[in-house]
Amino acid sequence: MEQFLFSLMNGVIYGLLLFMVSAGLTLIFGMMGVLNFAHASFYMLGAYFAYTLQGMLGFWLAVIVSPLLVGLIGVVVERYFLRRVHRHGHAHELLLTFGLSFIIAESIKLFYGNYPVDYRMPPSLDFAAFSMGATQYPAYRLLMGGIAIAMFIVIYLLLTRTRVGIVVRSAIHRPSMAEALGHNVPLVFMGVFGAGAALAGLAGAVAGAFYTTNPNMALELGVMVFVVVVVGGLGSLVGAMLASLLIGIMTSMAVAVDSSLADLLALFGAGEWARNVGGLMTLNLSSLAATLPFALMLLILLVRPGGLMGEKG
Amino acid sequence: MKKTLYCCLAGTLLLAALPLLLSQGLLNAAIQMLIAALFASAYNLLCGQAGMLSFGHAAYFGVGAFATVHAMNAIGGTGLLPTPLMPLAGAVGGLLFGGIAGWFATQRSGTYFAMITLAIAELVHSLAPHLKTIFGGEAGISTMRMPALGLNFGSTTQVYYLTLVWVVVAMALLYLYTRTPLGRLTLGLRENRHRLQFLGYNVHGLSTLVFAISAMFSGIAGGLQVLSNESANYVVFDPSLSAAAVLNTYIGGVQVFLGPAFGAALMTFFGYAISDLTRSWLLYQGILFVLVMMFMPTGLSGLIAIAARLCTRHGLGRVLPVFLLAVASVMLAASGLAFTIELLQRLFSQEYRSLLQTHPDAAWPAVMLLDQPWRPGAPLTWSVPALLLAASLWCYRLCRRRLQMLCVYDEQMAMTAPVTIQHGEDAA
Repeated sequence: MEQFLFSLMNGVIYGLLLFMVSAGLTLIFGMMGVLNFAHASFYMLGAYFAYTLQGMLGFWLAVIVSPLLVGLIGVVVERYFLRRVHRHGHAHELLLTFGLSFIIAESIKLFYGNYPVDYRMPPSLDFAAFSMGATQYPAYRLLMGGIAIAMFIVIYLLLTRTRVGIVVRSAIHRPSMAEALGHNVPLVFMGVFGAGAALAGLAGAVAGAFYTTNPNMALELGVMVFVVVVVGGLGSLVGAMLASLLIGIMTSMAVAVDSSLADLLALFGAGEWARNVGGLMTLNLSSLAATLPFALMLLILLVRPGGLMGEKG
Repeated sequence: MKKTLYCCLAGTLLLAALPLLLSQGLLNAAIQMLIAALFASAYNLLCGQAGMLSFGHAAYFGVGAFATVHAMNAIGGTGLLPTPLMPLAGAVGGLLFGGIAGWFATQRSGTYFAMITLAIAELVHSLAPHLKTIFGGEAGISTMRMPALGLNFGSTTQVYYLTLVWVVVAMALLYLYTRTPLGRLTLGLRENRHRLQFLGYNVHGLSTLVFAISAMFSGIAGGLQVLSNESANYVVFDPSLSAAAVLNTYIGGVQVFLGPAFGAALMTFFGYAISDLTRSWLLYQGILFVLVMMFMPTGLSGLIAIAARLCTRHGLGRVLPVFLLAVASVMLAASGLAFTIELLQRLFSQEYRSLLQTHPDAAWPAVMLLDQPWRPGAPLTWSVPALLLAASLWCYRLCRRRLQMLCVYDEQMAMTAPVTIQHGEDAA
């Protein structure tokens, strides 16, 4: 029971982290139609910047400053890279961000080396929030979850309750009309891109201290974030939240399950046959944990191609 | 048309003569270049011709590789399928897996398609290490090239010729494919899907077929890789291989048939030649890719086409200075950039940092680059790349002005030409 509760909570927290990164991605996509391949690289940059600044500014200030720096890089990428190739179409923009993600990952390897760096949370945050039975639950995880939820609420309120939000939403749906009404749509695009990058940077700065900070973190998380965005429906913030939680819980629960397809088939009396077949049949669910999200994505694409909260078709 | 054919024949003959000219190590690199060229061409069928951007083509390469390795172990080069025909197993594997994956992936187009292909590749990549019976786990599966048809395939030269024959045949087939009605429809998929649908074609079936064919040729490339390495490991499913296909194809240029092959061969060669000189080859490749995407979307082959057009329009004699200036500018910029990156790489390397930590009070020691010591604090160290880049910019400016002058001169010629005729008429 304890283990179940713990892995449920771990799953929720991991899902919230996924949401922090995918929120920016899905907003950018909904607005500009650009799938930003470099988005997870911004997450990585956030972690590395915070690691570098931690020594000079202390943990909290580093966590605040590094997303701002990442947001600045995002603005530069939009203004000087994406806008230049906009006329070549979305595929071209996707390829360009793909190349940028490559450059960012390789630059990180150049400056910090191709191994994990020692980015940790400060000792003052390293305590248990509560304990259940023999196991303790780290408070830092709760903090990460809290930041993600606060972020969701802020973005949601910003988009639905403020004037800026109205302009942004109108620029998403009818960019030319918004422009005709006198709003500076390119500026809005740049702002959204920078804000999305900053959100990913914040996620990296917070999560990098808990998970490992290494040059591969962008790739590992990036693929998962794409899955989240497709499952949730491109451009939908609520969908991204739902899909993140679903995938987070699913992967963390699967790790704890120590049975295979053969065990399931044994209930129907076909266990012996399945064990003889081997391969996928006898593979434990726990070792399939990394594979499950992709299977879920293919399933969603078959059943509901637009994603959970996306438009149809 | 005939000229192109002769060019291709001459190129093939040159490739066939390579074993006489090259050392064993270079010949191995040539095998890798040929395989990469075939893989990029197969990939280009999907992304360049059909307009479907895939980020997970390593999956089909890998499936082809493992199909071949299992076939080689099972058949052992005897019977109807001797060793030289083994990549056929890779082709079948690629075709089948590509058919299934393509059926899923082509449900959607555009950005969604790209993400689905990525997810399928990751699915295989994350599953492969766990299925030890099929993919052999960490150690992979090894095999032997069994003697067949009087050849023992023991030397690199024989493997090279085998690879060359396969690659030339496969490339010829890929080229002939573009001339068939199906090949024309593939272009239609890229240009206007709705219209094809409206004309009564089964667009989903067609996309799946194109996907499967592209996967089949990727599978052949994977099979050739196995023939040359005599082993396969789940590392072939690594995303970096898919990334390499994308980078190579677009650096080469997707609009010309041989562009991707050219790009892949060039990049593989540089990867081989530079790999012991630098640790940041992938960074250079990424920078080159971004530059190509930003400033010459037609790739390197497009650049050659532009150069050829300039030559025919203005004559070689007058364009030559422009070319020389352009080449000088590129070389200067490349050396300046490479100098900066290599210097930074050495300054931030682990060895240098530990050196700093052992002597915290001493001045920063010099780093070795091009057999010269460079002090990180000295202005000379940083003025070298700055000067190189400035010189490159100057050359670029000069080159651009010359090019503009050429164009203006041409326009003036075009303007004055009718005027002289008018004078003639007046006189008459």
